[in-house]
Amino acid sequence: MLWKEQYKLGVSRIDAQHRELFRRVESFLQVLRSEESWNNKIPKINETLEFMKRYVVEHFQDEEEYQRSIDYPGYEAHKQIHNGMVDYVQEVSMQYQQSNENEMLMQQFGGRLLAWLINHVAAEDQRIADYANKRGISENG
Amino acid sequence: MVDNLYRAFVNATRDVFNLMLNISEIKDHPADGFKIENGVDISIGIVGDLNGEVVYRFPASTSINMVKIMSGMQFDEIDAFVASAVSEIANIISGNVLTALSGENLNYNLLPPVQSNSDDKEYENGKSCCIDTSIGEMCLEIKLNSE
Repeated sequence: MLWKEQYKLGVSRIDAQHRELFRRVESFLQVLRSEESWNNKIPKINETLEFMKRYVVEHFQDEEEYQRSIDYPGYEAHKQIHNGMVDYVQEVSMQYQQSNENEMLMQQFGGRLLAWLINHVAAEDQRIADYANKRGISENG
Repeated sequence: MVDNLYRAFVNATRDVFNLMLNISEIKDHPADGFKIENGVDISIGIVGDLNGEVVYRFPASTSINMVKIMSGMQFDEIDAFVASAVSEIANIISGNVLTALSGENLNYNLLPPVQSNSDDKEYENGKSCCIDTSIGEMCLEIKLNSE
Protein backbone atom coordinates (compact mmCIF):
# COMPACT_ATOMS: atom_id res chain seq x y z
CA MET A 1 0.00 0.00 0.00
CA LEU A 2 1.40 3.37 -1.00
CA TRP A 3 -0.28 5.42 1.72
CA LYS A 4 1.39 5.49 5.12
CA GLU A 5 -0.10 6.89 8.31
CA GLN A 6 3.09 8.91 8.84
CA TYR A 7 1.99 11.10 5.89
CA LYS A 8 -1.00 12.45 7.84
CA LEU A 9 -0.99 16.21 8.38
CA GLY A 10 -3.74 16.24 10.98
CA VAL A 11 -6.12 18.24 8.76
CA SER A 12 -8.92 15.83 7.98
CA ARG A 13 -10.01 17.24 4.62
CA ILE A 14 -6.42 17.34 3.27
CA ASP A 15 -5.59 13.93 4.73
CA ALA A 16 -8.69 12.42 3.10
CA GLN A 17 -7.67 13.93 -0.25
CA HIS A 18 -4.12 12.62 0.11
CA ARG A 19 -5.43 9.14 0.86
CA GLU A 20 -7.64 9.30 -2.23
CA LEU A 21 -4.74 10.58 -4.35
CA PHE A 22 -2.49 7.74 -3.16
CA ARG A 23 -5.27 5.20 -3.73
CA ARG A 24 -5.78 6.40 -7.30
CA VAL A 25 -2.06 6.53 -8.04
CA GLU A 26 -1.66 3.01 -6.65
CA SER A 27 -4.47 1.74 -8.80
CA PHE A 28 -2.95 3.53 -11.82
CA LEU A 29 0.44 1.91 -11.15
CA GLN A 30 -1.09 -1.53 -10.77
CA VAL A 31 -2.70 -1.24 -14.19
CA LEU A 32 0.40 0.35 -15.71
CA ARG A 33 2.65 -2.44 -14.43
CA SER A 34 0.29 -5.38 -15.03
CA GLU A 35 1.15 -8.12 -17.51
CA GLU A 36 -1.78 -7.31 -19.77
CA SER A 37 -1.23 -6.01 -23.27
CA TRP A 38 -0.91 -2.25 -23.59
CA ASN A 39 -4.06 -2.02 -25.70
CA ASN A 40 -6.09 -3.65 -22.95
CA LYS A 41 -4.68 -1.25 -20.37
CA ILE A 42 -5.40 1.92 -22.33
CA PRO A 43 -9.04 2.51 -21.19
CA LYS A 44 -8.10 2.33 -17.48
CA ILE A 45 -4.94 4.38 -18.03
CA ASN A 46 -6.92 7.08 -19.85
CA GLU A 47 -9.60 7.13 -17.16
CA THR A 48 -7.03 7.58 -14.39
CA LEU A 49 -5.14 10.22 -16.31
CA GLU A 50 -8.34 12.25 -16.71
CA PHE A 51 -9.07 11.85 -13.00
CA MET A 52 -5.56 12.99 -12.11
CA LYS A 53 -5.86 16.09 -14.25
CA ARG A 54 -9.05 17.13 -12.42
CA TYR A 55 -8.32 15.88 -8.92
CA VAL A 56 -4.76 17.14 -8.64
CA VAL A 57 -5.91 20.69 -9.45
CA GLU A 58 -8.84 20.47 -7.01
CA HIS A 59 -6.69 19.06 -4.21
CA PHE A 60 -3.92 21.61 -4.74
CA GLN A 61 -6.46 24.44 -4.56
CA ASP A 62 -7.89 23.10 -1.30
CA GLU A 63 -4.43 22.70 0.18
CA GLU A 64 -3.43 26.22 -0.87
CA GLU A 65 -6.63 27.59 0.68
CA TYR A 66 -5.72 25.90 3.95
CA GLN A 67 -2.20 27.37 3.78
CA ARG A 68 -3.62 30.85 3.30
CA SER A 69 -6.04 30.35 6.18
CA ILE A 70 -3.13 29.69 8.58
CA ASP A 71 -0.81 32.35 7.01
CA TYR A 72 1.69 29.68 6.04
CA PRO A 73 4.91 31.55 5.12
CA GLY A 74 5.92 28.99 2.49
CA TYR A 75 2.66 29.46 0.58
CA GLU A 76 4.13 31.09 -2.56
CA ALA A 77 6.95 28.54 -2.92
CA HIS A 78 4.53 25.67 -2.30
CA LYS A 79 2.11 27.04 -4.89
CA GLN A 80 4.95 27.15 -7.43
CA ILE A 81 5.67 23.46 -6.80
CA HIS A 82 1.98 22.67 -7.31
CA ASN A 83 1.89 24.72 -10.52
CA GLY A 84 4.97 22.88 -11.80
CA MET A 85 3.25 19.52 -11.27
CA VAL A 86 -0.01 20.66 -12.86
CA ASP A 87 1.95 21.88 -15.91
CA TYR A 88 3.80 18.55 -16.08
CA VAL A 89 0.58 16.49 -15.93
CA GLN A 90 -0.98 18.65 -18.67
CA GLU A 91 2.14 18.45 -20.82
CA VAL A 92 2.45 14.66 -20.52
CA SER A 93 -1.23 14.25 -21.20
CA MET A 94 -0.94 16.32 -24.38
CA GLN A 95 2.15 14.42 -25.55
CA TYR A 96 0.39 11.13 -24.80
CA GLN A 97 -2.59 12.07 -26.96
CA GLN A 98 -0.36 13.37 -29.74
CA SER A 99 1.74 10.20 -29.67
CA ASN A 100 -1.33 8.01 -30.10
CA GLU A 101 -1.19 6.69 -26.51
CA ASN A 102 2.48 5.78 -26.34
CA GLU A 103 3.28 3.36 -23.51
CA MET A 104 6.81 4.61 -22.84
CA LEU A 105 5.49 8.09 -22.01
CA MET A 106 3.09 6.65 -19.43
CA GLN A 107 5.79 4.44 -17.88
CA GLN A 108 8.00 7.51 -17.47
CA PHE A 109 5.07 9.50 -16.09
CA GLY A 110 4.23 6.73 -13.59
CA GLY A 111 7.78 6.55 -12.25
CA ARG A 112 8.10 10.29 -11.82
CA LEU A 113 4.63 10.63 -10.31
CA LEU A 114 5.39 7.94 -7.71
CA ALA A 115 8.61 9.58 -6.49
CA TRP A 116 7.21 13.11 -6.71
CA LEU A 117 4.06 12.30 -4.74
CA ILE A 118 5.89 10.51 -1.93
CA ASN A 119 8.41 13.31 -1.54
CA HIS A 120 5.80 16.03 -1.80
CA VAL A 121 3.52 14.60 0.85
CA ALA A 122 6.28 13.23 3.12
CA ALA A 123 8.46 16.35 2.96
CA GLU A 124 6.87 19.49 1.50
CA ASP A 125 3.40 19.00 2.97
CA GLN A 126 4.76 17.98 6.35
CA ARG A 127 6.29 21.46 6.66
CA ILE A 128 2.76 22.86 6.64
CA ALA A 129 1.82 20.53 9.50
CA ASP A 130 5.00 21.44 11.40
CA TYR A 131 4.20 25.15 11.05
CA ALA A 132 0.59 24.63 12.17
CA ASN A 133 1.73 22.59 15.17
CA LYS A 134 4.31 25.20 16.18
CA ARG A 135 1.69 27.92 16.00
CA GLY A 136 -0.72 25.76 17.98
CA ILE A 137 -3.22 25.91 15.12
CA SER A 138 -5.98 23.37 15.55
CA GLU A 139 -7.89 21.50 12.85
CA ASN A 140 -10.25 24.45 12.35
CA GLY A 141 -7.55 27.10 12.18
CA MET B 1 33.08 25.31 -3.10
CA VAL B 2 33.39 21.73 -4.35
CA ASP B 3 33.69 20.57 -0.73
CA ASN B 4 30.59 22.57 0.27
CA LEU B 5 28.62 21.11 -2.61
CA TYR B 6 29.90 17.62 -1.86
CA ARG B 7 28.80 17.77 1.78
CA ALA B 8 25.45 19.30 0.81
CA PHE B 9 24.80 16.49 -1.70
CA VAL B 10 25.69 13.77 0.82
CA ASN B 11 23.45 15.38 3.46
CA ALA B 12 20.58 15.81 1.01
CA THR B 13 20.94 12.17 -0.07
CA ARG B 14 20.77 11.11 3.58
CA ASP B 15 17.60 13.18 4.15
CA VAL B 16 15.86 11.94 1.01
CA PHE B 17 16.70 8.27 1.64
CA ASN B 18 15.46 8.64 5.20
CA LEU B 19 12.22 10.39 4.31
CA MET B 20 11.27 8.56 1.13
CA LEU B 21 12.74 5.10 1.67
CA ASN B 22 12.93 4.87 5.47
CA ILE B 23 16.68 4.27 5.25
CA SER B 24 18.52 6.16 7.97
CA GLU B 25 22.02 4.70 7.81
CA ILE B 26 24.19 5.87 4.95
CA LYS B 27 27.96 6.17 4.75
CA ASP B 28 30.03 7.99 2.14
CA HIS B 29 33.53 7.10 1.05
CA PRO B 30 35.79 8.10 -1.86
CA ALA B 31 34.80 6.49 -5.15
CA ASP B 32 37.18 3.92 -6.59
CA GLY B 33 36.37 4.87 -10.15
CA PHE B 34 32.95 4.89 -11.74
CA LYS B 35 32.68 1.39 -13.10
CA ILE B 36 29.02 0.59 -12.78
CA GLU B 37 28.05 -1.37 -15.85
CA ASN B 38 24.31 -1.65 -15.43
CA GLY B 39 22.41 1.12 -13.79
CA VAL B 40 20.88 4.53 -14.12
CA ASP B 41 23.16 7.51 -14.77
CA ILE B 42 21.64 10.92 -14.14
CA SER B 43 23.45 14.09 -15.10
CA ILE B 44 22.43 17.47 -13.67
CA GLY B 45 24.05 20.61 -15.05
CA ILE B 46 25.02 23.55 -12.81
CA VAL B 47 24.76 26.99 -14.42
CA GLY B 48 25.27 30.56 -13.19
CA ASP B 49 28.01 31.74 -10.84
CA LEU B 50 28.98 28.08 -10.61
CA ASN B 51 29.47 26.09 -13.78
CA GLY B 52 29.65 22.35 -13.82
CA GLU B 53 27.85 19.08 -13.55
CA VAL B 54 26.73 16.53 -10.98
CA VAL B 55 26.49 12.92 -12.08
CA TYR B 56 24.55 10.38 -10.04
CA ARG B 57 25.17 6.71 -10.66
CA PHE B 58 22.62 4.28 -9.33
CA PRO B 59 23.53 0.61 -9.95
CA ALA B 60 20.70 -1.59 -11.22
CA SER B 61 20.12 -3.37 -7.89
CA THR B 62 20.00 -0.08 -5.94
CA SER B 63 17.61 1.47 -8.49
CA ILE B 64 15.28 -1.51 -8.41
CA ASN B 65 15.32 -1.66 -4.60
CA MET B 66 14.48 2.05 -4.35
CA VAL B 67 11.46 1.69 -6.61
CA LYS B 68 10.32 -1.50 -4.86
CA ILE B 69 10.32 0.30 -1.51
CA MET B 70 8.42 3.29 -2.86
CA SER B 71 5.80 1.33 -4.78
CA GLY B 72 5.52 -1.92 -2.81
CA MET B 73 5.57 -3.61 -6.23
CA GLN B 74 7.90 -6.11 -7.87
CA PHE B 75 10.51 -4.94 -10.38
CA ASP B 76 13.12 -7.17 -12.01
CA GLU B 77 14.96 -4.83 -14.34
CA ILE B 78 15.55 -1.21 -15.19
CA ASP B 79 12.92 0.08 -17.56
CA ALA B 80 11.45 3.49 -18.37
CA PHE B 81 9.40 3.50 -15.14
CA VAL B 82 12.35 2.67 -12.86
CA ALA B 83 14.73 5.08 -14.62
CA SER B 84 12.18 7.89 -14.40
CA ALA B 85 11.49 7.30 -10.68
CA VAL B 86 15.22 7.23 -9.90
CA SER B 87 15.77 10.34 -12.02
CA GLU B 88 13.09 12.16 -10.00
CA ILE B 89 14.85 11.17 -6.77
CA ALA B 90 18.10 12.66 -8.13
CA ASN B 91 16.10 15.78 -8.98
CA ILE B 92 14.69 15.93 -5.44
CA ILE B 93 18.15 15.52 -3.88
CA SER B 94 19.49 18.31 -6.11
CA GLY B 95 16.56 20.59 -5.25
CA ASN B 96 17.27 20.06 -1.55
CA VAL B 97 20.92 21.01 -2.13
CA LEU B 98 19.84 24.26 -3.77
CA THR B 99 17.65 25.04 -0.76
CA ALA B 100 20.39 24.11 1.72
CA LEU B 101 22.92 26.38 -0.01
CA SER B 102 20.55 29.26 -0.69
CA GLY B 103 22.35 31.44 1.86
CA GLU B 104 25.73 31.22 0.07
CA ASN B 105 25.31 34.49 -1.89
CA LEU B 106 25.95 32.66 -5.12
CA ASN B 107 23.53 32.86 -7.99
CA TYR B 108 23.30 29.52 -9.73
CA ASN B 109 20.76 26.99 -10.78
CA LEU B 110 20.50 23.30 -11.53
CA LEU B 111 19.24 22.05 -14.89
CA PRO B 112 16.60 19.32 -15.14
CA PRO B 113 18.01 15.79 -14.80
CA VAL B 114 19.08 14.03 -17.97
CA GLN B 115 19.49 10.27 -18.11
CA SER B 116 22.89 9.96 -19.66
CA ASN B 117 26.55 9.59 -19.06
CA SER B 118 28.72 12.46 -18.00
CA ASP B 119 29.18 15.20 -20.62
CA ASP B 120 32.91 14.31 -20.82
CA LYS B 121 33.92 17.99 -20.65
CA GLU B 122 37.05 18.83 -18.72
CA TYR B 123 36.46 20.59 -15.41
CA GLU B 124 39.00 22.22 -13.15
CA ASN B 125 37.72 20.83 -9.85
CA GLY B 126 36.05 17.59 -9.03
CA LYS B 127 35.14 15.30 -6.21
CA SER B 128 33.49 11.93 -6.26
CA CYS B 129 32.19 9.49 -3.71
CA CYS B 130 30.08 6.42 -3.27
CA ILE B 131 27.38 6.18 -0.64
CA ASP B 132 26.62 2.84 1.00
CA THR B 133 23.08 2.12 2.09
CA SER B 134 21.25 -1.00 3.23
CA ILE B 135 19.75 -1.38 -0.28
CA GLY B 136 22.99 -0.95 -2.18
CA GLU B 137 25.38 1.81 -3.08
CA MET B 138 25.10 4.88 -5.28
CA CYS B 139 27.85 7.17 -6.50
CA LEU B 140 28.14 10.88 -7.04
CA GLU B 141 30.59 12.96 -9.02
CA ILE B 142 30.68 16.74 -8.72
CA LYS B 143 32.64 18.67 -11.35
CA LEU B 144 33.08 22.45 -11.37
CA ASN B 145 35.04 25.11 -13.15
CA SER B 146 36.73 27.67 -10.90
CA GLU B 147 34.50 30.15 -9.16
